Amino acid sequence: MGDSETDLERDAQSRKAIDASARLPVVFMMASGVFWLLFGTVLAFIASFKLHSPWFLADQAWLTFGRVRPAHLNTMIYGWASMTGIGVLLWLQARLSRVRVPLRKSLIAVGVVWNFAVLAGTVAILAGGSTSVEWLEFPPWVAAILGALFVVVMAASVLTFVRRNVEHVYVSQWYLFGAVFWFPFLYIAGNLVIHGTGASGVAEATANWWYAHNVLGIWFTPIGLAAAYYFIPKVIGRPIHSYYLSLLGFWTLALFYNWAGTHHLIGGPIPLWVQTVGIVASMMMFIPVITVAINHHMTMVGHFDKLEYSPTLRFIVFGAMSYTLVSVQGSLTALRVVNETTHFTHYTIAHAHLGMYAFVTMVLFGSMYYILPRLTGREWSSGPLIRAHFWTTGLGMVLYWVGLTIGGWIQGQMLKNPDIAFIEIVQTTLPYLWSRSFAAALMSVGHFIFAYLVGRMLYEWATDRGKDRLPPMLGGDQ
Amino acid sequence: MSDTRSHPDGPRPDDDDGRQVWLTPPESMQHSLFIAAGVLATVIASYVGLVAIPNWQVNRLEPVMLDNGETYPAERSELAQKGKDVYIDLGCVYCHSQQVRQNDFGGDLSRGWGMRSSVPLDYTREETPVLGTMRTGPDLRNIGGRQPSRQWHYLHLYNPRITSPGSTMPPFRFLFDTVPIEGRTNVPVGRVDMPEEHSVPGHYVVATDRARALVEYLLSLDHDQTLPENANRGTDPEQVDR
Amino acid sequence: MTLIYGLIWGSWVVFGIATVWAFAWAVRSGQFRQVSKGSKVLFDEDEPVGEMTDAFPDVPDDQLPDPDNEGNDG
Ligand code: HEC
Repeated sequence: MGDSETDLERDAQSRKAIDASARLPVVFMMASGVFWLLFGTVLAFIASFKLHSPWFLADQAWLTFGRVRPAHLNTMIYGWASMTGIGVLLWLQARLSRVRVPLRKSLIAVGVVWNFAVLAGTVAILAGGSTSVEWLEFPPWVAAILGALFVVVMAASVLTFVRRNVEHVYVSQWYLFGAVFWFPFLYIAGNLVIHGTGASGVAEATANWWYAHNVLGIWFTPIGLAAAYYFIPKVIGRPIHSYYLSLLGFWTLALFYNWAGTHHLIGGPIPLWVQTVGIVASMMMFIPVITVAINHHMTMVGHFDKLEYSPTLRFIVFGAMSYTLVSVQGSLTALRVVNETTHFTHYTIAHAHLGMYAFVTMVLFGSMYYILPRLTGREWSSGPLIRAHFWTTGLGMVLYWVGLTIGGWIQGQMLKNPDIAFIEIVQTTLPYLWSRSFAAALMSVGHFIFAYLVGRMLYEWATDRGKDRLPPMLGGDQ
Repeated sequence: MSDTRSHPDGPRPDDDDGRQVWLTPPESMQHSLFIAAGVLATVIASYVGLVAIPNWQVNRLEPVMLDNGETYPAERSELAQKGKDVYIDLGCVYCHSQQVRQNDFGGDLSRGWGMRSSVPLDYTREETPVLGTMRTGPDLRNIGGRQPSRQWHYLHLYNPRITSPGSTMPPFRFLFDTVPIEGRTNVPVGRVDMPEEHSVPGHYVVATDRARALVEYLLSLDHDQTLPENANRGTDPEQVDR
Repeated sequence: MTLIYGLIWGSWVVFGIATVWAFAWAVRSGQFRQVSKGSKVLFDEDEPVGEMTDAFPDVPDDQLPDPDNEGNDG
């Protein structure tokens, strides 16, 4: 089709021009993300260690468990995953719309202020300013800044979409467009209702879980799925199996996910119908999840051997499979019989990490392996280190999940039996908490390897080295 | 208007029929608007369902008059309210829940964490309820009734393993001061009765203002009162009976 | 308060209508037609269907699995 020589040349040039426009804002977002990943990793390790060894760093108020844990969560959510996620989002949208990234200067300013806001919020939590509202621990004034920044990101995203040069709106675009509209609304409305005078009493708890569940559901999940829908076909060079299914998946997710949050309050002091709504919506989530699972699997069939060759594919396929697993687990956990045991236990923590780590974080790693070389014009410096990153984080995550899921289940069973003294439950969970710390150590090693790889690439870029190693696949000279 | 276009190469001919794929901006703008509206609608609907309506349902709950003539829930003292702020800034909520589940659901009642399950009415005076989602430690909704001793709480916060051997709760020693005994004529306020083997030689261990407020708050956590038959609990009656 | 609830419910209705509208647009403008063609917007002449676009730095291009032309029916 077409007179290939010129088409080929033009397509390559056009792609290069788009990547060039994304360079500064996206690299800045991703580099900041990696910084917060390391920061959050240290906090995570401290928190994990404290749970089995409570004397550890216990003499200062700012390092107490009840502050380090929310500090970890917030740096990971608003620092690592949101900043990197925005980088992925901007790049994907520009590529799919075939236009340059707009508002580049504003986006860099957003990144700078964003870093300060996350830093201020984290310091505030450690200093005693936490709100103790899960996932919204940053003080309201920090939330106000982040809310304003989200609106700028949304503006850039809408501009990209409106200026698009492609008639067809690819499924990833639907997800990304959803994410940028949902999240600013969610974040601003959630903060206003909870920190304002809007809700009090248990209504605040329902608002809290409407928000917290949706952060994963309609912010990180759409970004992660958009990336999976782009990178799996793009890397293996084969279109998605059923395009129709992917659109069905989008609209069912949009309809059901944001009703599911109140399953975090099952059995609690909230009106029964609110709990039931949460359970029903969780069940309905089977539809989008299974459509996505079938679709990704059928696309990969016959191409699994390519996992060996592509870092991006490895991380993204790991992430996509985790998405199916975490969603099925989530739906089942919302059933009252299961929830009776698992609620209030470490099982939930394992589940949350299956979502935020095994799915979202792994997809973000995979996306960065694809995007960063194309932005900096540098190849990754070491294959073995990338493999080490994959195996430490992958195995670490599996160990983390298995250990805490089993430990949490046992904890839940024991809690239901009033003949078992509470302290006995505390002691029984200890080995599982140790296994988590061990898993955390493995994952931390992976993060430092990854940070080294990214740092090395940025260093080569900044000092104008390493250009010669760029293979043609990444746009180097043939 | 056409300068809003920033494609590096301008329009692309469509491969199939050679038609120019070149949406005019106003048209593509409209399309975006429609999608945006559809996408927003889904989340706004859930906002109404899960935030606005529950809020409307439970915000109208009024404190009730108990059989003994007291109003319930009682207002917290100023000191206890301060203690709640300490509870919030130290993040006790990440290990302790404050909600007693229903009778046939979990072992809460049989563990003695309450005589009845919690209902929305119990929280109606609270600007920020700390329901919690984790039970690394026991539920604290009724800890004031279960453990009314101030000294026990001081010791437990100072070093949980004094009162509860094998505990994994972190010590909150930074909520306490040590003051030299020498040269003091009176016993300082908030002095903790340390057992011999844990005492600090030559010093009193004294609860700071924050520790005293926190313990005052813990003692105020007692929501076991029997509610009048016809009180609006904010939930369906069958939910409480079960 | 009435005003706020009026606003919430009002916006709900408005957005509800808009959802249907958006969906109708999507159908009319052919977002659901030619669905399999849509899935190929990721590829172009330079990075066509059948070619891998990512590999470990220590895997030379000529060691990648052979490009397959599956689905590249033009
Ligand atoms: C790392 C988790 C953790 C944190 C944080 C924590 N606790 Fe605990 N807490 C426990 C565990 C485990 C127990 C059970 C063993 C014991 O009694 O010490 C417990 C027990 C208690 C008890 C006794 C409950 C009973 O039924 O006997 C009280 C009271 C208490 N904690 C108050 C607090 C307060 C107040 C804070 C915040 C300043 C706090 N806890 C923070 C883990 C924690």
